[in-house]
Amino acid sequence: MPLNLVVCLKQIPNPDLQFQIAPDGKDIRRDALNYKLNGADEYALEEAVRLKEKNGGRVVAVTLGPKRTEQMLREALAKGADEAVRIAWDDPAAFDAGKNARLLAAAVRTLPHDLVLTGVQSDDYVNSATGGLVAGILGLAHASVVTRVAVQGSRVEVACELEGGLQRVYTLPLPALLSIQFGANTPRYAPLPAIMKAARQPIKELGPAALGLSNWEAVPLPYAFGIRGLSPPTAKGHAEMIAGSVEEQAKRFAQVLREKGFVRR
Amino acid sequence: MAGGVLIVAEHLERRIAPSTLELIATARPLSRALGDERNARIAVLGHGVREIASHLAGYTLDVLLLDHPALAEYTGDGYVQALRGTVESTKPRVILVAHTSQGYDFAPALAGTMDLPLVTNCLAVDLEGDRLVATRRLLNEKVQAQVEIRSDRPIVVTMRPGAVKAMGPARGMMTVTEVPVTLDPSSIRETFVRLERPQVQDIDLSTADIIVSAGRGIQKKENLALVEEFAKAIGGVVGASRPLTDMDWLPKTRQVGQSGKTVRPKLYVACGISGAMQHVAGMKDAGLIVAINTDPTAPIFEVAHVGFIADALKLLPATLKELKA
Repeated sequence: MPLNLVVCLKQIPNPDLQFQIAPDGKDIRRDALNYKLNGADEYALEEAVRLKEKNGGRVVAVTLGPKRTEQMLREALAKGADEAVRIAWDDPAAFDAGKNARLLAAAVRTLPHDLVLTGVQSDDYVNSATGGLVAGILGLAHASVVTRVAVQGSRVEVACELEGGLQRVYTLPLPALLSIQFGANTPRYAPLPAIMKAARQPIKELGPAALGLSNWEAVPLPYAFGIRGLSPPTAKGHAEMIAGSVEEQAKRFAQVLREKGFVRR
Repeated sequence: MAGGVLIVAEHLERRIAPSTLELIATARPLSRALGDERNARIAVLGHGVREIASHLAGYTLDVLLLDHPALAEYTGDGYVQALRGTVESTKPRVILVAHTSQGYDFAPALAGTMDLPLVTNCLAVDLEGDRLVATRRLLNEKVQAQVEIRSDRPIVVTMRPGAVKAMGPARGMMTVTEVPVTLDPSSIRETFVRLERPQVQDIDLSTADIIVSAGRGIQKKENLALVEEFAKAIGGVVGASRPLTDMDWLPKTRQVGQSGKTVRPKLYVACGISGAMQHVAGMKDAGLIVAINTDPTAPIFEVAHVGFIADALKLLPATLKELKA
């Protein structure tokens, strides 16, 4: 059965970088950040493309964010997505997972969907909330932390990872939403001709009207959300930090290992 | 009694998740802030789990037992539908769930289905008047955020495991109340098939005294040889952070962290591991933690006893030379 697949992607600042707090204390400084496709979402995208290759169908990649996210959407097109949609809400931070999920749900509602895939978490805000919220809002069956997916007729079998390496296997009916875990597959590289082609493909923009809203602030929410402030984490570290040249550090490391009895000499 | 705090207990194969005891500790100051320290309840969902409910009643809070054959195994639909009635009748101000695999399946689905506010993966929560203030960590633990939610609806909160100290049992038992569950089993769409356990055909990291773990900082699979050589020289075995086992550089059995092994060796050397919370959860109780990382802001240094701001690929061979000298 050909599948209508929707994959939700997020563009995030590379979390390996160092961050500074903006002067108003409500966001990080974003003037010189290097953005990338969220780690877990790479696996969600790959899973969507593999499901299409196996079952037939189409993959639509959806994101929420400013113009800069188009680069990520083109990457998704080059890796096998058939269509790219950007919810054109330009908030560079978008801290409120509840609002993001409601906007994504509204966009997914406008698309045919047998399976909606998300990453298990975004590495910037680590909420692990968006997928489950979208499922709840749209009334979709769902499974989280999915490491294995197999579509069988009108149902899908999934393995869901628990703590300590245990997995629960479920089957659920389509339409369903799955949050995909890191390592679920091996994401592909985009071939050069596909990158060239993706550069010319149109990206569909959804404004508030397309989602049934008068403006971006009109999303009905059962709460008021606010960032009280961002700060560097209160250092609770008590490590003895060892500076110096590599030779000096090595001397100290060897000394620690000897003092603590891990090596004899 | 309405309002207060509702804790959703987690259990698997008749064992209570340690994170549930942490939620009890989190609930106390919250219910105190709401004016009545006793106004908190623990919901136990399952089938044939009275023993778990009775055990939890030893933690100074009343327990609601939601027993139904369709709740014998966790499903998102089953839990959401069963708890819905309890949320509507007890109208809690805060619903506490652990930020575990099951928790982040359940909590957002409950919030999405019932149109409730949600804040997840919190290190701490506090109530200030009509506001819930949550402390969270962003961007690989490098930024701390205080988030506030104002709502007259129950607020769903997930707490990061290990963020607060678990509550010990107190003197005296509270009551277990069996709550009738209205649940249509045919409306549960997820069908549980089986529980799979990891295959063990490799060394068992959890019994090792010395573990030298490698992370993305070692850059190339070939560089694992260096980590192995170092581990061998000090009588240890090689572990890894998740990205390495995801890339099949090492078997899954070597993964340390929340979704892999929890280890308590005498010595843990973290080479090029940044220290994301999922990894730290699996090794923070090691006797001596030595961290090697080029990034001075890497969160691994928060749990380390000895820290080297260095490239492990340079420091390990230099230390080997030093040990042989």
